[in-house]
Amino acid sequence: MLLEWLEVHNFRNLSGRISWGGGLNIIYGDNGQGKTNWLEAIYVLATTKSFRTQKLQESIRFGEDLAVVRGSVAESAEVHRELSVALQSNTKSITVNGKRESVARYLSQLHIVSFTADDLEIVRGVPEARRKFLDRGVVALHPAYVQTLSDYNRVIKQKNRLLQDASELEMSVEQAAEIIAPWNEQLISLSAEIHSHRTGYVQRLIEALERRLFEREEVTIRYVSSLEGKGDLSDYEALISERLQLRLPAEINAGYSLIGPHRDDLEILFDGRDIRAFGSSGQQRSALIILDLAAISVYYSWHNEYPLFLIDDVDAELDRKRIDYLLEYLEGRTQTFITTSKESLVERFVAGANVYQIQGGAARADEPEKEVIRSAATTSESI
Amino acid sequence: MLEYAEPVTKLIDEFKRLPGIGHKTAQRLAFHILRVPEADVERFVGALREVKERIGFCSICNNLTDVDPCRFCSSAGRDRSMICVVEEPYNLVAVEKTRSYKGLYHVLHGSLSPIRGIGPDDLHLANLLPRLKPENNEGIEVSEVILATNPNTEGEATANYISRLLKPLGVRVTRIAMGMPVGSDLEYVDEVTMDKALANRHEI
Repeated sequence: MLLEWLEVHNFRNLSGRISWGGGLNIIYGDNGQGKTNWLEAIYVLATTKSFRTQKLQESIRFGEDLAVVRGSVAESAEVHRELSVALQSNTKSITVNGKRESVARYLSQLHIVSFTADDLEIVRGVPEARRKFLDRGVVALHPAYVQTLSDYNRVIKQKNRLLQDASELEMSVEQAAEIIAPWNEQLISLSAEIHSHRTGYVQRLIEALERRLFEREEVTIRYVSSLEGKGDLSDYEALISERLQLRLPAEINAGYSLIGPHRDDLEILFDGRDIRAFGSSGQQRSALIILDLAAISVYYSWHNEYPLFLIDDVDAELDRKRIDYLLEYLEGRTQTFITTSKESLVERFVAGANVYQIQGGAARADEPEKEVIRSAATTSESI
Repeated sequence: MLEYAEPVTKLIDEFKRLPGIGHKTAQRLAFHILRVPEADVERFVGALREVKERIGFCSICNNLTDVDPCRFCSSAGRDRSMICVVEEPYNLVAVEKTRSYKGLYHVLHGSLSPIRGIGPDDLHLANLLPRLKPENNEGIEVSEVILATNPNTEGEATANYISRLLKPLGVRVTRIAMGMPVGSDLEYVDEVTMDKALANRHEI
């Protein structure tokens, strides 16, 4: 998978087009010139979402009503697809080769793994960030999982309303059980599907982590079901339906759903200790890099090609030693995009990299000569 | 100040109340009405009035009808031992187009959706259970109820709710299958449908 070029109109302060190299791309420039905006544009092209804001419409340049991010993805040497995301005040249209495409299919065109300040929530934030990390990984392998998640969220929303009603109208547990049963029934099968997808994905990550691809530190992970210790997890459907029945009075009392994979978490241990509570900020960053590389490795073994890897503000997030390790490791594997404001970093890697100096939102014309494009997609070396 | 004379503005506002009609379309429709001969407008108004006056719910199946019971419920050619439950009258039309289903229908006029405030009492369900008794069905016992609600979370919940009501009565309750659209190519099927079709595969 290779992003050949990216063209941007009215997206934040950006304008113009950049042709990218197959290996390491360094987006370099002073603060406030638009480095991260270019990275964000790549992210938007791949995911139709931003890593910075929930309201993507905010990224339309002030005073304009249409922003467009377009790019060409080389699936192989001869298969090129043009993706585009067009944003208007309240619509977003996504196309592949100029034709509208469904979200599920669009998302499978270009996959990225990212390391941004926001992604650090995975190692130091709330469980939701970790569940999202897992769900993104599962979707990359099973696009239909998007529907499972959206159905699950819908059922939870409907059920929460009933639980609220039940508590406000002071319904008896029997009465409530009767109206909630049709929703719990779906909750059971959707939960089982989510549980099995997530644990399956975590198992793949564990196998990748066990190969100790990177650094000396050991990161171990474990999927922690909220039903752990409540019974036999191997018969998940039976267990959750028993718990749903048992905990209904408590759910009515709370007025929202207490049982289900929306309460699960991923435990991340760094050298045997909980990264969130005991990890230094450097260790947290290392752990995230290691998890990202595991995700890349899982993706590769499934699709036989590498996703794109984005690192925002690389020198603020990682020390020199880790950057060196990381970039060396990624060489010949992913097409990598990093932003930095440090000239020293650019100088160290300029030989093997494509450098784009960003000024006022555009790449400067005198960009250094580019290396012959090496296709990251055609390498057969496995992580 | 009004953009147009008061009667025109009123008409535009009325058109805008219709689903799927925005300001521009409403404007176009209003000016179309101003241009057409008066007889055409009379006919249109008559059709609107007539549909409200003459169309009601069938007292047996709740389908929209101008005669009660409706043509399905009073037809001698229908298999009275089967009832197909659908959400909306246009879903009934979709089943009917197959021409292979010869049973009766039951129209719910909605599906369960707590967040939209729609509970079992808001569905046209109360007259379903009595229909299963032979004395209310020209002496014929209903042997199967097919739940053909939509394949989304609300439709599933509705189907589930109804099956819980009917199962204790000993009637066979079935749910329509989900999967591949027939007559198209595998390549045109979206991942989610394909996934369902794979999960629901059967031996041949």
